Amino acid sequence: MPAYAAPPTDAELIARCAARDRAAFRLLYSQWSARLHGVAMRIVRDPSLAADATHDAFVQVWQQAARFDPSRGEASSWLMSLARYRALDMVRRRGREVLGHEPVEEEADQGPDPLGALLALTDGGALHRCLETLSEERRRLVVLAFVEGYSHSQLAAKLAVPIGTVKSWIRRSLTGLKECLAS
Amino acid sequence: MSGSDPETLEPIDLAAEYVLGTLDAAEAEAARDRIAASPGFAAEVRAWEDRLMPLTVLVAPVPPPEALWARVQASCALDSPAPANENRQGWWRGTAIASLALAAGLAAFIALRPAPAPVFAVLAPIGSTAPVLVAFGGPHGGIVVRPSGAIHIATDRDLELWALAAGALRPEPLGVLPPAGREILPVAAGTQLLVSLEPKGGSPTGQPTGPVVYGGTLQRTNE
Repeated sequence: MPAYAAPPTDAELIARCAARDRAAFRLLYSQWSARLHGVAMRIVRDPSLAADATHDAFVQVWQQAARFDPSRGEASSWLMSLARYRALDMVRRRGREVLGHEPVEEEADQGPDPLGALLALTDGGALHRCLETLSEERRRLVVLAFVEGYSHSQLAAKLAVPIGTVKSWIRRSLTGLKECLAS
Repeated sequence: MSGSDPETLEPIDLAAEYVLGTLDAAEAEAARDRIAASPGFAAEVRAWEDRLMPLTVLVAPVPPPEALWARVQASCALDSPAPANENRQGWWRGTAIASLALAAGLAAFIALRPAPAPVFAVLAPIGSTAPVLVAFGGPHGGIVVRPSGAIHIATDRDLELWALAAGALRPEPLGVLPPAGREILPVAAGTQLLVSLEPKGGSPTGQPTGPVVYGGTLQRTNE
């Protein structure tokens, strides 16, 4: 048997997509579609809309691969972001209320340490540590906003605090996270 | 970064809130405009994506519908003819070796039904719902094997099919696999179907000389 070479990295696959390599695109799809789809599904909470978001994200991968610069950020972040932004656009444009999404059980809040999964990741460990520096309320706010795609008004309703308080907490939490992650 | 909200003393960090997802539609649109216009702002957004994206591990993966890949391909016009050779040999070799690692566990099955129902097979890499090759009963009792989508290789290379019988040490050549696929003779359940990358015209030695890129064991399903 030949020695196994390291499989291509995500950044390499994206570069191959930019060079119009369909095999690379297919491989990227096989490796990332379930994760992108899961994230989109969590935000739009509708299989058909989530499929649209995942579809649009991968079309963007193919069309915008040349714009991806691995020196400026992680390939995984870029890929996941494409699906998140599409999903967020959909719920913003259509309005969560119209879709009848409330009340919603947020799965990320379940378990004694819903953030524990972050510890398994190289970068996640730092994020976990920094989220721990926030109060429980603010940590929950950040996770709900990011994972569930809640708007300011939804967050205010969820946490039973005024919208202004939500905005203030989010800003301070983000500032705190940025400082903590830089240290 | 851009202005402040009268309700708080903290200035809004547009890049951070764009990534967090708390901007409304108009604000998000404004953020996108700034990403396009300002490399500095775009870099801030990328930095925030890297900071927050680990949170996505809190979300369980959900496989998209099987049909989605075909839809993506259609939207990207991937069903048009493959472009000319772009010297992908090196890339293919890397992929092929990675695929070889997958080959042991490749999900391959063949359903043999009484005539006239056709036999068929789907070969897909682990963790993928996108079939790489499909096989189905041909009009003359054989099995047609063909790519399920665009598989492109360097123009000076061919894909070649092989059958490795259970317990055998050497695969039997089944011939070059043209882009449109071809019909092979029926092979016994338990046989491994392998696809290797060869010089144009197929292996000159009667044995695979290039990397095995796809493969799987044929299984007969219970009627």
